[in-house]
Amino acid sequence: MIIEVEDLVKHYGEVKAVDGVSFVVKEGEIFGLLGPNGAGKTTLMEILCCLRRFDSGKATVYGFDLAKDSLKVRASIGFCPQETLLYDLLSVRENFAFSASLYSLDSKKFNERVEFSSKVLGVGEFLNRRVQQLSGGMKRRANLAASIIHDPPIVILDEPTVGFDPNIKREFWELIKNLKHYSKTVLLSTHDMYEADEICDRVAIMNEGKIVALDKPYALKKTIGGDDAIHIRVKDSQTKKAITILKEYKTTVIDSEIQVSAKNPWEVMAEVSNKLVSQGILTEKIEIVEPTLEDVFIKLAGRKLAEES
Amino acid sequence: MGIVNEDGQSRSEIAISWLNATGFLTLKNFAQRTDALKELNATNLNAVLILPENFTQNLDYGVQTNVSLIIDGTNPDVARLVDDGIRTLFAEFYKTIINQNYTEPIMVNTETAVVREAIGYKENIVPGMLTYPLLFSSMVVSTGAIVFEREKGTLKKIRASPIRPINMLFGKTLAALFQTAISIIVMSVLALFLLGPKLNWNVPLLIPIFFLGSMNGIALGLIISCIGRAPQEASNAATTIAVVLQFFTGMYFPIEYLPVYMQQIGQFIPMTYAAQALRNIMIRNATLSDLVVPMATLTVSALILYGIGVVLYKRWVEK
Repeated sequence: MIIEVEDLVKHYGEVKAVDGVSFVVKEGEIFGLLGPNGAGKTTLMEILCCLRRFDSGKATVYGFDLAKDSLKVRASIGFCPQETLLYDLLSVRENFAFSASLYSLDSKKFNERVEFSSKVLGVGEFLNRRVQQLSGGMKRRANLAASIIHDPPIVILDEPTVGFDPNIKREFWELIKNLKHYSKTVLLSTHDMYEADEICDRVAIMNEGKIVALDKPYALKKTIGGDDAIHIRVKDSQTKKAITILKEYKTTVIDSEIQVSAKNPWEVMAEVSNKLVSQGILTEKIEIVEPTLEDVFIKLAGRKLAEES
Repeated sequence: MGIVNEDGQSRSEIAISWLNATGFLTLKNFAQRTDALKELNATNLNAVLILPENFTQNLDYGVQTNVSLIIDGTNPDVARLVDDGIRTLFAEFYKTIINQNYTEPIMVNTETAVVREAIGYKENIVPGMLTYPLLFSSMVVSTGAIVFEREKGTLKKIRASPIRPINMLFGKTLAALFQTAISIIVMSVLALFLLGPKLNWNVPLLIPIFFLGSMNGIALGLIISCIGRAPQEASNAATTIAVVLQFFTGMYFPIEYLPVYMQQIGQFIPMTYAAQALRNIMIRNATLSDLVVPMATLTVSALILYGIGVVLYKRWVEK
């Protein structure tokens, strides 16, 4: 295991930010920490990057004990926080050179890594431009490239796409997934369920400092998320009538949509549709929706994951 | 001010006690005129006052008596201040202590001892200009360097790398030293070409003073940056403290202009010693042996302040 965390605890005064967390990350996987703001994700990541001390528990990164070998731990990770940590007045290449100097990279290795960043992360087109002249997306790509310029085996990304527009977010997801092909292990935190679902091999769901579930996204959705649901939208004035017609099914109304839970959704969808049409109710939308990690979180924590999600 | 009491009688003793009581100058007694003048030349005194042999006798017989005042004229402002002050004090002494019935006053014969010729405004202002970077550049630069990394967030990136906090601190210190050195060089070149002062540019002696002065400023900046709760607060505090400190250090105007209590405060500010050392080197041709006290003071204060800064910085980084 490339990262092992055992019963880790961290307090901020009376508040338990990380409450007995244990998990392992396998080599070469993309492991996600999913949870709302304040769940303890960032604190946990900062502990693993040796930016914060922990109160009790044990953790090893790349075989090095966090408490004893912090310099070796730091040498084996590339940390990319959600803020862009580049010097605005320097060019991208100069920022890379600064980052490389932190890890004592020789010039040959540095040039190789710049080449890699240009090819894989697409920074070649703006390598010699000052950071202040770059767009938000370019900055984030350069930020990621700078954080892995020393070719670390482990990449730790804290909310890597927060504030991105959907297109850039997707582009960034591809970059992260691409890292896997270069033998990188990725640990990322996010409160975006789609992000966790899309790019993570395994996800640990965190709430109030604890890991409340850990598995592959698909498995989490199947085992905890519940049955598929049929989402139906009718005219507002007909919603009450429609619910009455569908009283034999398990229905809920969320955001003006009637949701019908069903183990065999395709059969039920035909029945529901026929019943509504026969009673003169026309559906504006009817579709089958699989459970999401949001559903998993709601079931586990009794609340929504995040406003943005 | 050095006092040579060649009279040694009652009236001269009363005069010295009276001068002492005014608190205008700190007096140091000398048995021999030559010893006092030696100290004056070594720039340890601003002036020497000589009360002649017949001081008491002349006053007792109602005859005019002359006292000699030898002033270090390298700083015209200080020289004028001392001269005017002593004249006023003796006039007051004559009126207050000596019987007013005497017709002849005490005459103060002033003589100016100038170590170098043509010491004027330009010569006096340049050492002050060169003290400026020690106080402002080093302090504000070191505060800014650390605060900037915190504000920008790049401190997190550096801390996540295998760099020890102390190494980063040394790096920042070197950078601040470099920037201060650039400021000093620019100021020196400007002073040379624009003002053309007749000064002693004793580089081997100036460099250690610049270095020690900068280290004191950097250490102060480091302490401020670790204490400040917000980046802007730390930057403002550094600038404000530097502005206030300059009044106590005798950078641009003689420290003697200040009230005694402010002069005493100035003695606890390392930059005062740097400013005085630069004046002594550049105006008074001070040698290494003349600079032992300011250099030792600057070294000790730099070590103490930097030590405090390192402790605060380590605590701040680990927060």
